[in-house]
Amino acid sequence: MNGSDIRLFARHNAIPLLAGAVFAAMFVLYLALQPRGVTVGTLVTASNKGVLLALIACAQTLPVLTGGIDLSVGAIAVLANCLASTLLGGSGLSLVGGVAATLAAGALAGGFNAVAVVWGRLQPIIATLATSSIFYGISLLLRPDPGGDINDDFASALTGDIHGIPTTLIILLAVLLLFWLPFRRTLIGRGVYAVGSAEAAAYMSGVRIARSKACAYVLSGVLASLAGLLLTLIAESAQASAIQAGDLTLNAIAAVVIGGTSLFGGIGGLVGSVIGAFILRTIGDLLFVLAASPLWQPLFQGLILLAAVSLGAIPLLRNRNRLESFR
Amino acid sequence: MKISNLAACLLAGAMLASGAMPANAATYDPQCFRAAAAAGATVQLPAKHGPYRIAFANGFIGNGWRVQMIQTLRAYAAQPDVAKQIKELRIVSVGTDVSAQIAAMDNFINAGFDAILIDANSPTAFKPVLRRAQKAGVLIVSFDNTFDRTGKETNLIQVNQDQRAMGQMMGDWLNSTMKEKKSVLEVRGVPGNSVDRDRHEGFRAAMAKDPGVQITEVVGNWDDGTGQKAVADALAVHGNFDGIYTQGGSIGVTHAVMDAGKGFIPIAGEGENGFRKLIVAHANDGLLGDSAGQSPALVAVALKAALAALDGRALPQEIAVPIPEANYKTLVAGKTYFPDVSDTFFAASDFPVCSINLGAKDILGASGK
Repeated sequence: MNGSDIRLFARHNAIPLLAGAVFAAMFVLYLALQPRGVTVGTLVTASNKGVLLALIACAQTLPVLTGGIDLSVGAIAVLANCLASTLLGGSGLSLVGGVAATLAAGALAGGFNAVAVVWGRLQPIIATLATSSIFYGISLLLRPDPGGDINDDFASALTGDIHGIPTTLIILLAVLLLFWLPFRRTLIGRGVYAVGSAEAAAYMSGVRIARSKACAYVLSGVLASLAGLLLTLIAESAQASAIQAGDLTLNAIAAVVIGGTSLFGGIGGLVGSVIGAFILRTIGDLLFVLAASPLWQPLFQGLILLAAVSLGAIPLLRNRNRLESFR
Repeated sequence: MKISNLAACLLAGAMLASGAMPANAATYDPQCFRAAAAAGATVQLPAKHGPYRIAFANGFIGNGWRVQMIQTLRAYAAQPDVAKQIKELRIVSVGTDVSAQIAAMDNFINAGFDAILIDANSPTAFKPVLRRAQKAGVLIVSFDNTFDRTGKETNLIQVNQDQRAMGQMMGDWLNSTMKEKKSVLEVRGVPGNSVDRDRHEGFRAAMAKDPGVQITEVVGNWDDGTGQKAVADALAVHGNFDGIYTQGGSIGVTHAVMDAGKGFIPIAGEGENGFRKLIVAHANDGLLGDSAGQSPALVAVALKAALAALDGRALPQEIAVPIPEANYKTLVAGKTYFPDVSDTFFAASDFPVCSINLGAKDILGASGK
């Protein structure tokens, strides 16, 4: 990579890079203020809750890239949580089967969204609002009372660390390196971006629009169910909670925006959303180390969030075309 | 202080050694820390030396009850005899996400706090973090929304009010206060909630003593507006009732009765300051009222329990604190209701048997900073 390549890369990824710098600054501050110094436990705690939101944010990013939105990602995660809590009590092969079944359920839920949005031609925001209610209803049937019996060793291993590196962080990196980077270069992956930036032009150029859009929703379901699986392992139980589903969905949208993905579609990616998710979570951690007074915490949280979003938006100030300001 | 600790330990040790002592007799301050079940298990940790570092991992903070709860905690912790036992009090509100609350507890454990108070977002999701707390020797005191026990926790104390007993108390009071006993209106809370279920069952158990009473049920969602409309409709359809039990939204319910203009009847309701003001203002016109509620001051009992357990005292695993109740005969201005404080203040905020006597001034003065 020579100098001009680096400059081009920096220009194309200005918002994720800035967000990354913001996150690094916040996290270093958090670690520096740790009352008992940094331990593996500190990193594992930060990673577990960060990766959970990061996976939901990734799930949200794919539909957003196509110019849509998926309000059901939180509900799919809760559905996966409730399903997994009935499947992960055993050991050995049954665990593998349980994980596979949970991810398959996520794909099925995503497929349901795809049918409603792509072939049913419903507005994504309404269609997924309706399906989120359906998924929540199924969760409630699967688990009317909170509970569940999870294999302790399995849960502890996947929410612990490997040689000092949080296991959940390794899982997240695997998703980015083994799924996202190759996927982005495939025909379907490029189609996702094309549909989001100019659907008509993509259609005229022969991009198979329906296939790319449907894929985005199905993969979104799989990623959301992976997050639900992680929630099951962190909590070793499940609860059909509409509040939890809504909380995850909203925070995921916030993470997507902080990470530089445009809600109009076509611009952004999973890496930015992951950084956005970690920024959101670190704001909560800063409240902990800074000992902010309890009734000021929501205000404080909002101000940091606004600052983070504003910093990320600085590159947008440099318009290539003045007409874009009036879009 | 140290000698009395030692004596308490010896005494408790002797009682344990002698075997067949009921749990109640062996625990510290059983008046305040009353065991929820007579034969319930106890918690006793090795005595530590104060002052202690206490953390509070709160979830949701978006309603008046939660805000008053946090103000109450600060006010109670600032009282001189409590303050000297506390080196640091750290409060974090994480919102409604379960994983964020688990992480907050992990952070407190990693940071070496002696005890963590928690109003939990889920009854079941905290098993792994409770194990980590137990391993690290950190005491957990949960209150209000408590956990489902697995039976293995040795470092967990739970503080709550018995919701079923509260429903029963209100039913018994209505039974003894109503002039005639033909028809009663029951205004229920949020459907599907365990608190609504328990209060309802307790109330029905009390009313079952007199099978001749006809009970009409409406849903008020613990909300003034919803309750007022539901009661107004019920009064329009059924004519009049001999008494009303409402789980919440008591101000709205009382206004509905006043607006109907059919005269006052006995009303058993929640602990809102505005409801208690109305009772006092209209008691002579026939508004006989009884008020009891889930108190935001539970947090103070939880803190008091944490400090006692860290001192090495034996406490019940499950503590059912006395229900703060006051009726038209017993309401006292400035103590159990506050004429110059807003209607939405939860006036049921004192536990005299626990020496927790916080008035509105103490609580509202602690602005939460």
